[in-house]
Amino acid sequence: MEAPPVTMMPVTGGAINMMEYLLQGSVLDHSLESLIHRLRGLCDNMEPETFLDHEMVFLLKGQQASPFVLRARRSMDRAGSPWHLRYLGQPEMGDKNRHALVRNCVDIATSENLTDFLMEMGFRMDHEFVAKGHLFRKGIMKIVVYKIFRILVPGNTDSTEALSLSYLVELSVVAPAGQDMVSDDMRNFAEQLKPLVHLEKIDPKRLM
Amino acid sequence: MGVTCVSQMPVAEGKSVQQTVEILTRKLEMLGAEKQGTFSVDCETYHTAASTLGSQGQAGKLMYVMHNSEYPLSCFALFENGPCLIADTNFDVLMVKLKGFFQSAKASKIETRGTRYQYCDFLVKVGTVTMGPSARGISVEVEYCPCVVASDCWSLLLEFLQSFLGSHTPGAPAVFGNRHDAVYGPADTMVQYMELFNKIRKQQQVPVAGIR
Repeated sequence: MEAPPVTMMPVTGGAINMMEYLLQGSVLDHSLESLIHRLRGLCDNMEPETFLDHEMVFLLKGQQASPFVLRARRSMDRAGSPWHLRYLGQPEMGDKNRHALVRNCVDIATSENLTDFLMEMGFRMDHEFVAKGHLFRKGIMKIVVYKIFRILVPGNTDSTEALSLSYLVELSVVAPAGQDMVSDDMRNFAEQLKPLVHLEKIDPKRLM
Repeated sequence: MGVTCVSQMPVAEGKSVQQTVEILTRKLEMLGAEKQGTFSVDCETYHTAASTLGSQGQAGKLMYVMHNSEYPLSCFALFENGPCLIADTNFDVLMVKLKGFFQSAKASKIETRGTRYQYCDFLVKVGTVTMGPSARGISVEVEYCPCVVASDCWSLLLEFLQSFLGSHTPGAPAVFGNRHDAVYGPADTMVQYMELFNKIRKQQQVPVAGIR
């Protein structure tokens, strides 16, 4: 019943800008086992972790040319986990020598009424998908190998169909801005996964 | 969180806000309550920027972003008569990013700060409500910690409130309303604070000098 052990001033407006450093690649279904095997050897020793997530992407259209995008993700296999709300900024252009894609990111854990709240704010769902795969860690690096499933009936996560015959591989780090050494460490790790998978910096704008 | 009732204590005739707070806290101390640190609850108001309204043609809604020192790592975002989202403090960073779509209403920040008292299973918080530099009223929050179902303990809470608020005892909060057996949670307390702050905002400014 004691007062919480923090200062009287509530924490408002975090000043730290976190950046996400990202490298992506893909492997065909039949190569999945060998990739998992190598990752298990290279990464931190932990119980193999699988996940099944449902992600919804919301847009808020304003008078600005580009709508504001927010991603709401929930776990389908871990009951009671908070929902995860994520904002990703535009990729930082500039340093061609930087090995990873860098963009501002804000991660927020929320209660379960997130979708209702976002709709009340004026957001509308643009698309949704189910992601199923494996999670590995090496220090601050996170490696996910997952398959994307298209949801056939909006809102019904039971009827899904795989989007492709491959798995998406992502190597990411979330770190405070200005820590460019992180992308060097990521590149070194990515080297060790060749030739099973080639992880590289993929500029999303070039795909459109 | 136990069932909680948030109400406003009117300023005593001929006395200042600070003096009324002192009268109340003295009554609590005589009852045997122990001082246990301080508390603060604040509220910032946002409205949808004109640019987003455009084709939708609906009136802009007001969104309240609140913090409660009892839950220092959380942030509460709510709409009047709408859902209340409980998020971590990064939500404030997100509001900064959403500046173009949601604008903070001018001089809208309202907060209450004061002392926290524990009396057996009750937690009592008496705070001075301020908007900017001026004191606008007094908030009284009483929580009965062991119980989370409003209908089970409202009579007990009422009796306790009467013992130190006397004739200023409030009626049952609207949040208890229809859901008699629903489990009470922190979001319900924040809704009560939002309603209290809105009421105080509309009231005439207290015609005494602000606390110094």
